[in-house]
Amino acid sequence: MKLVGIAGSVADKSYNRLLLKYIAREFKDVVDLDVLDINDVPLFNQSDDQTDSPAVQAISNKILAADGVIIATPEHNHTITASLKSLIEWLSFNIHPMSGKPVMIVGASYYDQGSSRAQLNLRQILESPGVDAIVMPGNEFLLANVKTVFDENDNLKDDRTVSFLKETLGKFTKFVKVINKMNEKEDPGWQSEDLESHGKVETTVEGVDMHAADWVEKAAEKTNAAEGDDYVKLDRGLLTVNQLNYFLNSMPIELTYADANNQFIYYNHFLEAKDMLAARTPGQAGNPMADCHPKRAIPHVQQVIHMLRTGQTDMFRLPVPGMGPDKYVMHYYKAMHDAKGEYKGINELVLDIMPIVQYYLKHTGQMLVKDPDADTDAVSGASTNTKPEKTDAVSGASADTEPEKPAEPEKPDEVSGASANS
Amino acid sequence: MHKFVAIVGTNSDNSTNRKLLQFMQKHFADQATIELVEIKGLPMFNKPEDKQIPAQAQAMAKQIDQADGVIISTPEYDHSAPAALMNALEWLSYYVNPFADKPVMITGASYGSLGTSRAQEHLRQILDSPELRARIMPSSEFFLGHSLQAFDDDGNLVDQTKLAKLEGLFADFQTFVDITKQLNHANAANKQEIHDIDWANR
Repeated sequence: MKLVGIAGSVADKSYNRLLLKYIAREFKDVVDLDVLDINDVPLFNQSDDQTDSPAVQAISNKILAADGVIIATPEHNHTITASLKSLIEWLSFNIHPMSGKPVMIVGASYYDQGSSRAQLNLRQILESPGVDAIVMPGNEFLLANVKTVFDENDNLKDDRTVSFLKETLGKFTKFVKVINKMNEKEDPGWQSEDLESHGKVETTVEGVDMHAADWVEKAAEKTNAAEGDDYVKLDRGLLTVNQLNYFLNSMPIELTYADANNQFIYYNHFLEAKDMLAARTPGQAGNPMADCHPKRAIPHVQQVIHMLRTGQTDMFRLPVPGMGPDKYVMHYYKAMHDAKGEYKGINELVLDIMPIVQYYLKHTGQMLVKDPDADTDAVSGASTNTKPEKTDAVSGASADTEPEKPAEPEKPDEVSGASANS
Repeated sequence: MHKFVAIVGTNSDNSTNRKLLQFMQKHFADQATIELVEIKGLPMFNKPEDKQIPAQAQAMAKQIDQADGVIISTPEYDHSAPAALMNALEWLSYYVNPFADKPVMITGASYGSLGTSRAQEHLRQILDSPELRARIMPSSEFFLGHSLQAFDDDGNLVDQTKLAKLEGLFADFQTFVDITKQLNHANAANKQEIHDIDWANR
């Protein structure tokens, strides 16, 4: 479970940050807690919108990507610090990353009160409509007399405090699951995947016929696309369009980009269709995905796309046999996301892994033998949570038969150790 | 004639709370001197080790110290007082004590209908804290809702009922200031206790 921790103090020495760091360390098996810094967040001013400042954006993006948030608050003047309030104001002004986010409040203080009033106040603030967070009820964790409760390694000394914190954190992880379940959008089901690409996404080029063989040329003209020696700024580097093509066309992998609107918009065109592991022709670029698959395969394609779009799996693996005994062709379907975690389409990677296997066997002096206990379902990858009833037709290749058995390896060289040749 | 400091509870360029205080300054000019004070420009409170507060905060502390009372007009952000106002009050409680036993009147203006009811509650709680120890006028609330429509072109309050309420509360505040002057027996102790707060370990 991914959580972010926010310590409501900008002071260098903060027991609240110490407490969060301790939680991150001590309970790393329970939660993956990333403790954020709020030092660079400017004081909120509605006349000087700094929502787009790197400090605010970085925190917002981390919160959006996290399952939940833990806030540790000091108490100044019976309330939370201005620095924490200021951050919350930025996160409730033009952006609302806390909306629906499960939050746990903890607090450390020098006095007996242990930030009790600040915590109540923070609850009220977080539940205001602009912030709209969902704070875990009850389970107050008030750490008083902070000067004496940590040992020299910054660990909490008192066992009862540690076990109470563990119990509270355990409840919070359940709370996070329940709230995030509640936040889930109603899943419209895989049938909702429109392979005719009737919808549109931000990048959809409108007014150009998707089915046309010269879609690329027409769409490029319409968007005034960069080409040739035009520079493109990338994460991380700067290439010209020509350089990008040299680079992508020299990958020993067939790459295909299908966008979030299920439109096939790119493949690295370094082979003719007849020489490809998964045939594509230049005229297909721009087609809705329905154009590139036989009718009988459509439901399976829909299921795979839907799993990737909804995050049921991040990558779907599919062996596609039928290319002869000397090849083992894998299709990998990897979901693509932007920095905010929004689905941006599929990266399909097709390659023959047999040369890799052969290389490995040869150079480590090993050979393949049949596993008598093997599960014969070699079709779907181990990483998928759910799989369509029948995955074998996804790529549209004629994959109704069992995958071919891998060829017997050549006799290994005389080398024996795993690293002998390198 | 009493001398009051009026704190604009926001750093925003456009504020109906500022407008309200400007109106009070003008409307009550024959009853009291009201100086408006801005909180814009104060850096984020960060507990500096040298215990020094910025020059702007020092000047504010001095003004408050010399005033008979303070009026604070607050907007409401996220059901509470704005960070900018909280920030100013943090500076004004950091090894300085201008609010100790100081009479305070709270007002608030908002675009919506509630007129900062929750922010005022929050501000009361802050001013009552051991770091500030202000004397907030009890049982009095002035909420100016729909504040964008509340003033005419000359900056005068349009609603006569609201105006009567404000005049009444201001008269009460003048009396409250006089009464509160007698509630000062623990003033020296209060100031010392504020000064002795250990901010470094909070």
